[in-house]
Amino acid sequence: MFVKEWRCEYRTRYALNTLALFAFTTLVVVSFSLGPLGVDRSHGTAVLPVLLWIILLFSVAAGLPRTFVQEEETQTAMALRLSATPSALFCGKLLYNLTLVFALEVLVTPFYLMMTSLEVASPWLFAAVLAAGGYGLAAGSTLVAAIIAQARSKGTLFSVLSFPILLPLLVLAVELTRGATAGDPGGVAVPVLLLYDATITVAGLMLFPAVWNP
Amino acid sequence: MKTFLAWLLWLWLALVIVGAFFYAPVAEHFRVPGSSRIVFFHVPMAWTSFLAFIAAAVWSVMYLVRRNPRHDRSAGVAIQIGLLFGVLATVTGAVWAKIEWGAWWNWDPRQTSILASLLFYAAYLALRQSVEEPEKRARLAAAYALLGLVVTPFLFWIVPRITFSLHPDPVVNSSGKVEMDPRIQHVLYASGLGFAALFFWIHNLQCRLEALVERRAALKE
Repeated sequence: MFVKEWRCEYRTRYALNTLALFAFTTLVVVSFSLGPLGVDRSHGTAVLPVLLWIILLFSVAAGLPRTFVQEEETQTAMALRLSATPSALFCGKLLYNLTLVFALEVLVTPFYLMMTSLEVASPWLFAAVLAAGGYGLAAGSTLVAAIIAQARSKGTLFSVLSFPILLPLLVLAVELTRGATAGDPGGVAVPVLLLYDATITVAGLMLFPAVWNP
Repeated sequence: MKTFLAWLLWLWLALVIVGAFFYAPVAEHFRVPGSSRIVFFHVPMAWTSFLAFIAAAVWSVMYLVRRNPRHDRSAGVAIQIGLLFGVLATVTGAVWAKIEWGAWWNWDPRQTSILASLLFYAAYLALRQSVEEPEKRARLAAAYALLGLVVTPFLFWIVPRITFSLHPDPVVNSSGKVEMDPRIQHVLYASGLGFAALFFWIHNLQCRLEALVERRAALKE
């Protein structure tokens, strides 16, 4: 399933290109509006992590819904229903989305750190939060994408539906990223973030058959 | 029998209002002690909104298991009422926050979590509106409601506990004790009960109404 996704993606390179371009544009807008001096050091650790996660969230909302919408649009959804079990399909789509989100983070984060001259006190925690937060973003969006693909007004509906689901993740991720830039240890928020990731994955696996099969 | 129950409910709620103003004492340590009376309405509204959500989740599970359209209708109506009570709780909370904290809104963790749940209810209703086919709508809405159910604990219990809050302790505070005047407790629980009954009454009316509308639409075709 995962391999099929990448083969399709490789043919058009649509998702990755739009995702990267979108993220890059937002990044430029953000750092341009902060001005040439940026945010001063004392406020920086409070504000900049928020902006980073907003860039990531909006890029995800721009790129990830396509995973299922495209299947419905090209009418390959029926063929998929016949050829793959729902759980294999869900895992495949999730892995594909995961690679997209991680690629996005790898592209965006270093640029962001350079342009805003944000310094990270504990890089390992920072990387761990990006990984766990990115995983949560991908897993939450995969199921929501499967839901909206079958509805009308897909694009707008995705943001509306995914935001309440992803909000706890964002709160935790922002809180932890702040901690990582300021050099605090994560404390209780790290296991909570992992718990969120696990919960959303299990819920996705259990609910996906109901969403997918008529 | 039904009329009798409805009258009983009105009488009960009227007694709650009387109790809130003449029986229960005020919280003396508040900036405006009288403002504490809002607890008898604000807190039950928040409870009802939450009850509606739990009820909708139960009906959604029942729908996914039994595939009975009635359960789907119940879940949808429950969320509508949940949104109504959620808005009421938010507004009364904002009024109280203006009096006690000096600002309508200050991103207290509880305000954040209720806002998120309002967004969730609204998103759920938006999803229902954008799917025409009843069977598909029921399936997708039920799945979304349950997805909401699993992330709710994070919003309501975990996030408010790891961030700072000005909100008065919930009825059972973090040390597991109830620290409230017993008379306040009497009125509060009576009010909670009344609001829960009100929820089920409105829910019943609205479900019957929607069933009638559907039947009429089916007859016209």
